[in-house]
Amino acid sequence: MGTRMWGFYLKELIHTVPFFLKGLWMTAAVSGFSLIAGTAVGFAWGIIRAGKNKILRSILGAWVDLIRGTPFLVQIFIVFFILPEVGIQLDAFSAAVIALGNSAACFICEIVAGGILAVPFGQREAATASGLTSYQQFRYIILPQALRIILPPLVGQYVLTIKDSSVVSAIGVVDVTRVGWFTVQRIPEGILVFGLVGILYFVICYPLIRLSNTLENRMAVVTTRL
Amino acid sequence: MITFSNVNKWFGKLHVLRDINLDVKAGEVVVVCGPSGSGKSTLIRCINRLEGIQQGDLVVDGVKVHDRKVNLTEVRAEIGFVFQQFNLYPHMTALGNVTLAPIRVRKLKRDEAEKLGREILERVGLGDRADSYPEQLSGGQQQRVAIARCLCMRPKIMLFDEPTSALDPEMINEVLDVMRNLATEGMTMIVVTHEMGFAREVAQRVVFMDDGQIIEVALPDEFFTNPKSDRSKLFLSKILSH
Repeated sequence: MGTRMWGFYLKELIHTVPFFLKGLWMTAAVSGFSLIAGTAVGFAWGIIRAGKNKILRSILGAWVDLIRGTPFLVQIFIVFFILPEVGIQLDAFSAAVIALGNSAACFICEIVAGGILAVPFGQREAATASGLTSYQQFRYIILPQALRIILPPLVGQYVLTIKDSSVVSAIGVVDVTRVGWFTVQRIPEGILVFGLVGILYFVICYPLIRLSNTLENRMAVVTTRL
Repeated sequence: MITFSNVNKWFGKLHVLRDINLDVKAGEVVVVCGPSGSGKSTLIRCINRLEGIQQGDLVVDGVKVHDRKVNLTEVRAEIGFVFQQFNLYPHMTALGNVTLAPIRVRKLKRDEAEKLGREILERVGLGDRADSYPEQLSGGQQQRVAIARCLCMRPKIMLFDEPTSALDPEMINEVLDVMRNLATEGMTMIVVTHEMGFAREVAQRVVFMDDGQIIEVALPDEFFTNPKSDRSKLFLSKILSH
């Protein structure tokens, strides 16, 4: 195949850019909603996971293990194709956000619980001895120290979740990946089309990767401080 | 001020406190010593209920602290506790460390608490380090901040759990000096320590523990020159020989 064809396809591809931007917007919407919900739920779960209630802790643990131990593609099929059989009808977008948000929440739960448990026990004891209530101990002593441990891997998890969002194309959500599938049928140059798809994901993820690295380096300083 | 009556405590099957009877009066300084694992730390950790007890009564300032209905926050606010490992909050300055509980527990206004905090940091010789973070302070300075953190609550009782054991030798005295001053001011103190010089000089009574029991309670001079039990003789020979 000559460079002439590549030039032709490139031109064609440029025409489809608005379509790709729409897909990018959908990717951002699915990831964004999932991450907001996943972060809120993940923090709540993580706090319970690091807490004292053994029953809640083991129920959550089982759920988290189940989700972490099964492919996301399978999870999204279950939400989208199997839930309707028990009467829960969801459009593709909602199914995508529920499945991806739940998956993110499970990973974030473990990150948050790990961060909380990494705060030395003496910190809680000192706070207890000075008469702070459990809530005050958590709010002023545990959480601020745990956050420094949590933030770098949390941002790293955001990157993973955004990339995982490409799987929602499998249930018909028209995200960047889905747009890639459509386009490659008209422009049979996979490397061009999916090159563009890859670049678009990278553009979103790269700043987050940098942010995670920066936080990690700052964390290293803080660790020596502890 | 602090009364143990027939207190027993177990960790699982391990009987860590056996029939403890002890009465500490207001303004008294009591040093608790004994071999490691003898229950000294556990003894003082029961006083502010960092540990629970299974039998007996423990009355602190007229309150049965192991009663179910006790308001623990109120009890603990009156009892300062100094840890071997300082346990300062690493994300707060010295001033932040000493003002947190006064603001959140005593409900002081921030400026009142900071005035108090600076005053007390001054008293432990750290007036110029109020804005330093724990990591920027030496071990001795950190432990003095930890003492100041307790004093800012205006406690009635101060408990010390091996306050100098984690310190380099040259820093021990700066901490002991602060404790000496407190004792002279009439603070009720129970100090778990191996600093026998401090015990001799400052304590009104020495409590010797072994194997979860109080073996001997004596005046310091008596204890060091003429210990009654064999176990205290053995302990003293070990600790004073170096």
